[in-house]
Amino acid sequence: MTVEQVAPEAGRARADRTAGRVRSAERGGPTMTTRRHRAFYMFASPWIIGFSLLTIAPMVYALWLSFTTYDGISPNWHYVGLGNYRELLHDSATWDSLGRAGLFAVMSVPLSIIAGLGLAVLVNRPVQGRGLFRTLLYVPAVVPPVGAGIAFKNLFDQNAGAANGVLTFFGFDAIGWLADPYARYVLVMTVLWGAGNIMIISLAGLQDVPRELHEAARIDGASAWRTFRSITVPLLSPVLLFQTVTGVIASVQTIMPMLLAPIASTGGLTTIPQSNYTYMIHVFSEYFALGRYGYASALLWLLFVLILIATGLIFKLTSGVVFYNVDPEAKK
Amino acid sequence: MHSQAGSPVSRRRFLALSGVGVAAGAASLSSCALQVSTAVGGSGETITVMAKADDLSPDLVKQAKKETGITINRVDYDITKLIAMLTSGNPPELVRAVGATDAAYFAAREVMQELDSYFARSGVLKVEDLDPVNDLWRYDGKAQGKGPRYGMAKDFSQDSMYWYNSAAFDAKSVDYPAELEPVTYEEWLDSAKRLVQRSKGQTTVYGGSYNGLTKLTLMATLTASAGGSLFSDDFSRADFTSPEARKALAWYIDYCKLKVGPSTILPDPNGWDGPTYQAGRMAMSNNGYWLGGMIGTDKKLAKVSRLAPAPVFAGGRRISACQGGTGMWMPRQAKNKDAAWRIFEWYFGEAPAKARASSGWGIPSLKSLQSLMPRQEDYQRRSLRVQENELRHFSVVSLTPYITGDAFESLFNQVSPAAMKGEMSVDALAGRLNSVINEQLARGKEQVG
Repeated sequence: MTVEQVAPEAGRARADRTAGRVRSAERGGPTMTTRRHRAFYMFASPWIIGFSLLTIAPMVYALWLSFTTYDGISPNWHYVGLGNYRELLHDSATWDSLGRAGLFAVMSVPLSIIAGLGLAVLVNRPVQGRGLFRTLLYVPAVVPPVGAGIAFKNLFDQNAGAANGVLTFFGFDAIGWLADPYARYVLVMTVLWGAGNIMIISLAGLQDVPRELHEAARIDGASAWRTFRSITVPLLSPVLLFQTVTGVIASVQTIMPMLLAPIASTGGLTTIPQSNYTYMIHVFSEYFALGRYGYASALLWLLFVLILIATGLIFKLTSGVVFYNVDPEAKK
Repeated sequence: MHSQAGSPVSRRRFLALSGVGVAAGAASLSSCALQVSTAVGGSGETITVMAKADDLSPDLVKQAKKETGITINRVDYDITKLIAMLTSGNPPELVRAVGATDAAYFAAREVMQELDSYFARSGVLKVEDLDPVNDLWRYDGKAQGKGPRYGMAKDFSQDSMYWYNSAAFDAKSVDYPAELEPVTYEEWLDSAKRLVQRSKGQTTVYGGSYNGLTKLTLMATLTASAGGSLFSDDFSRADFTSPEARKALAWYIDYCKLKVGPSTILPDPNGWDGPTYQAGRMAMSNNGYWLGGMIGTDKKLAKVSRLAPAPVFAGGRRISACQGGTGMWMPRQAKNKDAAWRIFEWYFGEAPAKARASSGWGIPSLKSLQSLMPRQEDYQRRSLRVQENELRHFSVVSLTPYITGDAFESLFNQVSPAAMKGEMSVDALAGRLNSVINEQLARGKEQVG
């Protein structure tokens, strides 16, 4: 079929559709636009209903709780207005635990991105058996966090752990890894152990970098490091931004320290070294150990607002350095 | 404005309709999730019991059906789930709890059913047959140990006692403690120091563990043993600076500082003493008679294991309290109370109670079943002799209804590590504990009213 033959066909189809709309309107039936709207909302509604029931409704409920002294069971709870918010502003445990969560994010996010990107660069090279390496490096990321927690607890046990086994074999004294001040580093290691997730995303980004740019750089005499720094990293910058934003949110919300706790009970789960007493552990303790649903809800709302601010700041600070490989005029 | 048939669904209208859908969905979801049992009374019916699988195994559930005709729907014990079920008006018919720490807390919040009239009518559970440990489940509106009964212990131990491994004592040429007379806490700690074995910064054998069942019960019983009370008469305040409480606190902080046993600053990855003691890596383990159930499964371990009386403070009273008394209670809003009581009777007084009594995993909470405690083997007779003597010193240490064991544990663990590491004095710790624990007690008192 030639171009000349196609054009009249398309014109007829358009005319038929227009006629259909006219006939629909004449019959009083739904127009094409209406049907499109309906289809859109029908497809979107499972997500919207789920989001409303499982995210918006609990958030609104938590907001309401945050203005009360409710503990879930006692008869005499009452409204305190902004009392819980005023209290948390003066609660040193809130700011100390938030500081620890921030420090954990500052340590773990860059390290895990560097580790993930490094692994991605390695497994992107044309070496034999790279599929196997990719799988092996990704496996820790699919291990359930509870399993990872138990494994790390046993690996780093002071008296019977493999880490101290190595140290004492070489004549060093054993270290109390799961107590202060080392517990923080064990926690960062558990996060790095799961860097396979970041590796996979970075690998996808690396494979999207046009090969001809690397070839042009090589012809121009650029070193491998210069090529990586000036071509690969800028083209990967949207991926790195995504990993930074989601990494910061996940690390501030992490509840991982509990998995390293020695006692598996609600009170016992807060028996963790001070250096790992992060914001979410504080929230857990207020909710489930102390039964302060109202205060803990206020803590969560504060965290929500702080995460929004942090995310906005990250976008603002990186707006000049993230390179989007699209035509900015295309939308217009 | 009325919408026309066939007109596009506006976003506003869609969101309004979604809102209605969300509300209806939420209501139906909550009622589905929390609806547990609506059957009423007697054989052939179903009740929901919130308990751990260890308390109520699938085999026991089948046995209950066979022997009572009642079907048990077991749901895992989970305090948040329990609160949701209580709040929605659909609680389980029976709930597991720890008598020492939970009974007064729940009774004060008026969610527990008084069981006196049920006991009065029962042909299985007679009040005169109840061991005094069941007084942990009584609360008169002010203090634990008196007033109406709200539940019952399935079995119990005197949790300040300890087991020791005689081989570990022999290895370090340390004298065994007397069989029926208590050592002082100071002597216990001295033995622990001599028994602990370390190499290259690792503790190969713990000298002894002494952490109580929870920090709340540990501190309250240690203070009582020193001759005082951790709480004020109306249980609304704690005082760690009283001479007795300070003595108790100082002893525990010393124990932690010396690193002779597991603590917050020297965690045992096993989470409890059982596996460590069984592996021969713990010379003394602060657990009551019930640990004999585990010890009895290992003949070698049973041969070298001895039960010892609860220590006392020099010059203090000899008391030996139960820090647990785990059992069950019936929520006031339970739908099927008759069937629940039938299961209660069966679980606490019939076949399951007899099986527990003869297993060695605790002392039966009915006096009539205590003759079933195991005594066939040497080690069983030895520990039974110590236990029977210890029962003469049993007492109920009342706890406050204004704080949960979990809350106390959490606050204690947050504040005390600095003192355990020698970075804070015991006096400063006592003051800090007074502050945080009394804040929580004040909140609890306000909630109860």
